[in-house]
Amino acid sequence: MNPVEPYGKRFSSWFTADNLFTGVIMAFLLVILSVFLLYPVVDICRLSFIKNGALSLQNYLDYFSEPKIFRSFYNSMFVSTVTMVITTVLAFLFAYGLTRTTMPGKGFFYTVSTLPLIAPTIIQALALILLFGRNGVITRYLLDTSWNIYGATGIIVGEILYCFPNALFILYTTLSAVDTRLDEAAQSLGASALKTFFKVTLPSAKYGIASAAALTFNLTITDFGIPVVIGGDYSVLATEIVNKVFGMQRFDLGATISVILLVPSITAFAINYYLTRKSYAMISGQARPFIQPSRPLKKWAFTAYSSLICACILLVFITVFLGSFVRTWPYDFSLTFKHFDFPSLGASVPFWTAFWNSVLEPGAFRDMIAIKYAPIWTSLMVSLVVAVVGASITLVAAYIIEKKKPRGEQLLYALSVLPAAIPGVVLGLGYVLAFNKPYFLIYGTVWIIIINVVIANFTLGLLSGTANLKQIDKSVEEAAVSLGAGPVTTFTKVVFPLSKVAFFSTATFFFMRGMTTISAVLFLVSAQIKLAAIEIIFLDVDGRTASANAMCTVVVLIVALFLVIMRLTTGKSALSGMSASN
Amino acid sequence: MGRDLKLENLTKRYGNLTAVDHVNLEIREGEFICFLGPSGCGKTTILRMITGFETVTDGRVIFNDRIINDLIPKKREFGIVFQSYALFPNMTVEENIAFGLKMRKMPKKVIAERVNKMLDLIGLSDWRKLYPAQLSGGQQQRVALVRALAPDPQVLLLDEPLSALDAKIRLRLRAEIKRLQQELKKTMIHVTHDQEEALSIADRVVVMEKGQFRQVGRPIDIYKNPNCNFVADFVGTSNFSEGRRTADVVDIGRRKIKVTRNGNVKDEAVSLAIRPENVEVFNGNEAPQIPEPMNLVPGRIEVVVFQGAAVRLLIHLDGEEIISDIIEKEFEQRTLKQGDQVYVYCSPESYLVFPEGEGTK
Repeated sequence: MNPVEPYGKRFSSWFTADNLFTGVIMAFLLVILSVFLLYPVVDICRLSFIKNGALSLQNYLDYFSEPKIFRSFYNSMFVSTVTMVITTVLAFLFAYGLTRTTMPGKGFFYTVSTLPLIAPTIIQALALILLFGRNGVITRYLLDTSWNIYGATGIIVGEILYCFPNALFILYTTLSAVDTRLDEAAQSLGASALKTFFKVTLPSAKYGIASAAALTFNLTITDFGIPVVIGGDYSVLATEIVNKVFGMQRFDLGATISVILLVPSITAFAINYYLTRKSYAMISGQARPFIQPSRPLKKWAFTAYSSLICACILLVFITVFLGSFVRTWPYDFSLTFKHFDFPSLGASVPFWTAFWNSVLEPGAFRDMIAIKYAPIWTSLMVSLVVAVVGASITLVAAYIIEKKKPRGEQLLYALSVLPAAIPGVVLGLGYVLAFNKPYFLIYGTVWIIIINVVIANFTLGLLSGTANLKQIDKSVEEAAVSLGAGPVTTFTKVVFPLSKVAFFSTATFFFMRGMTTISAVLFLVSAQIKLAAIEIIFLDVDGRTASANAMCTVVVLIVALFLVIMRLTTGKSALSGMSASN
Repeated sequence: MGRDLKLENLTKRYGNLTAVDHVNLEIREGEFICFLGPSGCGKTTILRMITGFETVTDGRVIFNDRIINDLIPKKREFGIVFQSYALFPNMTVEENIAFGLKMRKMPKKVIAERVNKMLDLIGLSDWRKLYPAQLSGGQQQRVALVRALAPDPQVLLLDEPLSALDAKIRLRLRAEIKRLQQELKKTMIHVTHDQEEALSIADRVVVMEKGQFRQVGRPIDIYKNPNCNFVADFVGTSNFSEGRRTADVVDIGRRKIKVTRNGNVKDEAVSLAIRPENVEVFNGNEAPQIPEPMNLVPGRIEVVVFQGAAVRLLIHLDGEEIISDIIEKEFEQRTLKQGDQVYVYCSPESYLVFPEGEGTK
């Protein structure tokens, strides 16, 4: 008897619920990333090559032939290179102390070193100005010198403090992954401690070191918050873009400089990305024996060093906190709350204004909370939406890429990691160019801001999702399918519950980025829609430094509160193993 | 015939690599089949093609007289037990077992009854509220087993289900699987690289190498009458020698060996295999009385390995080595020890003779 062939039709073999599920999500992600990532960037490139309506290289010739403007390129390269070298060395030593010595207080040191992630990048600049600025408590008060930190020095010191946790994260991972038994083997073969360090430890961490350096370079050259506050006349590419667009309404020049900024930033990102993969390939999965007790000198030297670094990081936070509470820095140190009564920042947040009006008694306090704090409520709302949307969409994308491996997977992957390479300022400007059109209805609403923040931070969400999904045994999913579960059920009942911790950690990351991001959304705020992190800059530019500090303090407190809530609900610290990449 | 499973010229290629090479097999309903082979021989790939998680390059998988090559895994309604257990860590034992039943939208009452029955089957009723992480490996695999059986699958596929467990539990669970199979009369297809497991559990064993079937048969036939060098070597232990055969005498160079399987062959390259338990060892003081003096050779015991009920001897003959397993009692009675001069005897009928080049060693 010949077997019948009821399922022989080609149609049935590919048109399955599984392929439908994958296909729909794939198409959705590709459309989202094309529209909100590729299109704006392409639009910037297009604009930079057009002069008086014709295709030309004139914009670039103008840029490079004008020494005053060209300076910004040189300056950017200079501060980024110096920051890169110093940060990498400092972070390596710190990571070495954490992983290879038996110094006390490691948990404390690690936690403190991650603090910069919870604040807008501007906080380092604000603190440095309070300490070393024209009216700095150290420069003016203690030393009575006319020297101040504005310019390249300020940018470099600020960027070091900001980039430190990001570089540290990579180096910490690298050093904890390299088998310490290699060191022990070298020493048992007669190598001195110093020789072991240079011949074994350092070479085995070389990819991690280079990758941390490239990331630091990328973070510094794309940063806007620190140079705008502390740079003074020292212009860098990111501030130059904003200058040309806001100051002169020269979108074409802004676009040109953006493309110029893209070159080193994408290069640094590509190097970092390539090396990270290489470095993870060297990780040995074997359990490592415990570290031998360090000699006292080594132990205390590293303890002192780590304490010093942590003191610097803490000093930043303490200074800004103090700066927001004292009456007139540095002359009158009596405490006050008046800086928290922000000067007329009012903007409309219908939901929150109505909410506060209904719960609070009428009066000055209600006006402050309901109207003057509007940017904070907007930021909070945006960040909560960004957290949920960002974590969900990157988890689904990671699931499709990691587990379904559909056709076009590599395209989706490439588009997903691209955001980390695009500077926030460039992406923001791209949004203005691409979407500031009457038919684009969400332009000018909070939604464009939400989309921008999600897209700008897509890479890290995706990478952490992928790393998590790799740990889920493929058989578990196959078990679900063989028991009759469809693709949606498999995802919601099995995959998602297993990814919950990663999901909340990614959501926390997106929340922090939503609260603290500056460069990407700078172009998207308006008189109606204001964000807390951006207001810090505007307050500072207006000369209301104390209020800028106060706003910064509020942002940091909100993020810290969110972290505590997440920690209490999930039982895990969301900060561990996290690094910003844009 | 009924719910039989047929593989016809089933082939799987990955680029240039042929993982499964035109294999044919008919599995009858209620039969317990075991695919046995070294890692990388293609046994798991066949299993995955049957489950639908792997696409078929060529050939057909036929179930119940229907070609199911392109049928999605969910629709096949085959149960699978994985080496890594693959229990859902976020669900209790009970919820794990009920999962497949819920997916089939069965009424709550039916599900509860069925879950109870399954728990009884493996004697884990007290553990129903626990999570997989709270169970031992053996318990987890038992849960995985009944989870796969709960929806009453057409066929149960077991992908090295015992490999991750330690020796004692492996033996117990092996017996339990066999018992369940006989009780439920379910078609089961089991994949393993453990020959002892395959021989003890299956109705029929399929010995595989390099994507092909080397021998298909009852365990006893596979063991007693391997059809090639590979099977003789992979299943159990064998002593091998190569030589040329004329009628019933094989010349292996150093000496001549008498074998039974004669026929009219003249001067043919063959290889000989003999199981260690068929190699008899006698004290070297005086030559024993044996029916075929040509097969009696003197030697010396090089190594003695105590294996519990049996003792394995490595014996040095003139220019060759031979392994002999003798039961411990006999070893003592014959007062053998390391370094002793002995006589070794292999009866003609205990030799297996394979023409050279049939299967690879």
